[in-house]
Amino acid sequence: MYYEYLTVGIGLFILGVSGIVLNRSNLIIMLMSIELMLLAISFTMTLFSVVIDNLIGQIFTIMILTVAAAESAIGLAILVAYYRVRGPIAIKSLNLLRG
Amino acid sequence: MYILVLFLPLLSAIISGLFGRKVGTKGVGIITSSCIVISTIISCCIFYETTLNFSSTYIRLWKWFDSELLITYFGLQFDSLTSTMLIVITGVSALVHIYSTGYMAGDPHIPRFMSYLSLFTFLMIVLVTSDNYVQLFIGWEGVGLCSYLLINFWLTRIKANKAAMKAMLINRVGDIGLVLAMLMIFKEFGGLDFSTIYSLLTSSVVNKENITIICILLFWGAVGKSAQLGLHTWLPDAMEGPTPVSALIHAATMVTAGVFLIIRSGPLFECSPFALTIVTFLGALTAFFAATIGVVQNDLKKVVAYSTCSQLGYMVMICGLSNYSTSLFHLMNHAFFKALLFLSAGSVIHAVSDEQDMRKMGGLIRTIPFTYTMILIGSLSLMGFPYLTGFYSKDLILELTYDRYYIAFAYWLGSFSALLTAFYSVRLIYLTFITNTNSKKEVYMKVHEPSLNITIPLVLLAFGSIGVGYWAKEIILSNVVTPVVTNGVKMVPLLFSLLGGLLAFVIYDSSMAYTGWWFNWNRSVVIRLCHSGYTFLNSAWQFNYIINHFIVKNIWKFGHLVTYRVIDRGLLEIIGPRGISDVLIKLTQKISNLQSGVVFNYALIMIVFSTLFISGALGA
Repeated sequence: MYYEYLTVGIGLFILGVSGIVLNRSNLIIMLMSIELMLLAISFTMTLFSVVIDNLIGQIFTIMILTVAAAESAIGLAILVAYYRVRGPIAIKSLNLLRG
Repeated sequence: MYILVLFLPLLSAIISGLFGRKVGTKGVGIITSSCIVISTIISCCIFYETTLNFSSTYIRLWKWFDSELLITYFGLQFDSLTSTMLIVITGVSALVHIYSTGYMAGDPHIPRFMSYLSLFTFLMIVLVTSDNYVQLFIGWEGVGLCSYLLINFWLTRIKANKAAMKAMLINRVGDIGLVLAMLMIFKEFGGLDFSTIYSLLTSSVVNKENITIICILLFWGAVGKSAQLGLHTWLPDAMEGPTPVSALIHAATMVTAGVFLIIRSGPLFECSPFALTIVTFLGALTAFFAATIGVVQNDLKKVVAYSTCSQLGYMVMICGLSNYSTSLFHLMNHAFFKALLFLSAGSVIHAVSDEQDMRKMGGLIRTIPFTYTMILIGSLSLMGFPYLTGFYSKDLILELTYDRYYIAFAYWLGSFSALLTAFYSVRLIYLTFITNTNSKKEVYMKVHEPSLNITIPLVLLAFGSIGVGYWAKEIILSNVVTPVVTNGVKMVPLLFSLLGGLLAFVIYDSSMAYTGWWFNWNRSVVIRLCHSGYTFLNSAWQFNYIINHFIVKNIWKFGHLVTYRVIDRGLLEIIGPRGISDVLIKLTQKISNLQSGVVFNYALIMIVFSTLFISGALGA
């Protein structure tokens, strides 16, 4: 039961991934995509904790939400710092460190 | 005494080579000359003991190579062949040493020169006295080395350098043959001592075909050293050295080493009729070939050099007819009159301020009659004039050749080269001494007879050229059966010689009306033909051209293009260091290009590889 919801989780995750890979202009969209991926993970966690009737999944979900909040806060802070130094924040211009 | 003959020249070489600065120019001359003279006296004693008293002597000095299979000793063997060669070598060498003290006077490097001469004599004695092939090979290579050093004596001259390298390298080509022959002999007989080999020859264990191969390889060696057709080109070029060197090395001793090798290996050659035929064939061709070239050479020394080549052809030819003692006899006689000719030529060159071109001489008969007499004696002897030394060996060679009807062409080639020999000998005398002078006045005014150091060896050699043939014929030719031929055939070489001499006399006589057409070539078509023939002969049948263009140049090209550029710098580098480093560098650059610095690419790579990883983990 409820297995069909797994598709939602996976679909959201793939959306997030393709948001990172295909997006070449906006750094904020990238952060949002990461948030989306984390949400997809959280959703899947919750789903499985219901399916297998185990609380650990939901505990993890709560923790992931905290981490995600912290992560987006730090990410936005880095973004702002970066914006102060460089001006425009297109991802294409983020290529100073080449191999 | 027997060892002393070997080590006196070595001693003299060491003294004048290492301590020449202390001994001084004059002292070096005295010491080396007296050492070699003593060596000559000793070798006369050896000749008396071993040849006249029939007591061959063997001295085993010490062990040299000692492996399980091959044991070689340093050994000395004195038999009649060795003692005859010893007399020739030490005698001519002693006279050349004395001659050099006069001829080279004023040269700044006399100690070095005398040291080389003595070292050469020592190595030549090593060559003839050895009792095995390995020790013979020491002498064989050693005289080649000394020939290099002596031709290159005036080492600042580029021509001398080139001639010396040519002599060394062409000799090496022949030496390869000798080395291969030694390997074959060791394979076939299991030893390299002469006594071992010749005693095994009669047994049935040896393979006749292998002996033919051995003989041909030995002959290959002899061809290089004795300047037979094909490897002869070094000999005329070797005239770049000082004249005493030419007399000692390229007339009397070193070039005879090849003939000596054939005579020494006579028992081997006797087992192979095929090899003998080749020997005769090439010898006769060389005699004829060199004689035709000698006719048109204008350099005084080159005429004599080609005549040496021609006479060596006679010696080799008669070896091919199994008359080894006749060959030895001619070798001995030739050493005397050729040394005389060379040293007199040196005297002429000395007199006309180092001019070697015969066309710029002439009229010297009035100013240096002594040298004229010496050259006349030498030339008559070379032409085989009756009752002189050359007559006893040369005519005998031709008679013996005629006796073998199956090889008649050798006889005719030999006889015809006798005609040419007479022609160029008379031509040499005529252009140098008799015709009107062509030299500059200041040169002609300064012409003088040489000093006593030069004249005394000439007189002694002249006595040798007159008498040696008569004195030694009973001793050396004791085992030769004189062939029964008609008197007409006996007369042929003599008549040919006289005819050749007369022809030269007629052609070069300036009082004759038609001298003009002989010298002024470009008059008509016929004369143009003559001119092309003259050029052909003057450039030695274009042998140098052919060898340089078809062999040497191709080898050079091969060396540069194939072995250097294709293999060394090409294939091996691509497979080896440079190729590998290039590939690695390009590969790493490509791999590091993956890190483009753009974030979404990193993300893509991360995702792709984590997908691969997960799917691999699931698959496993």
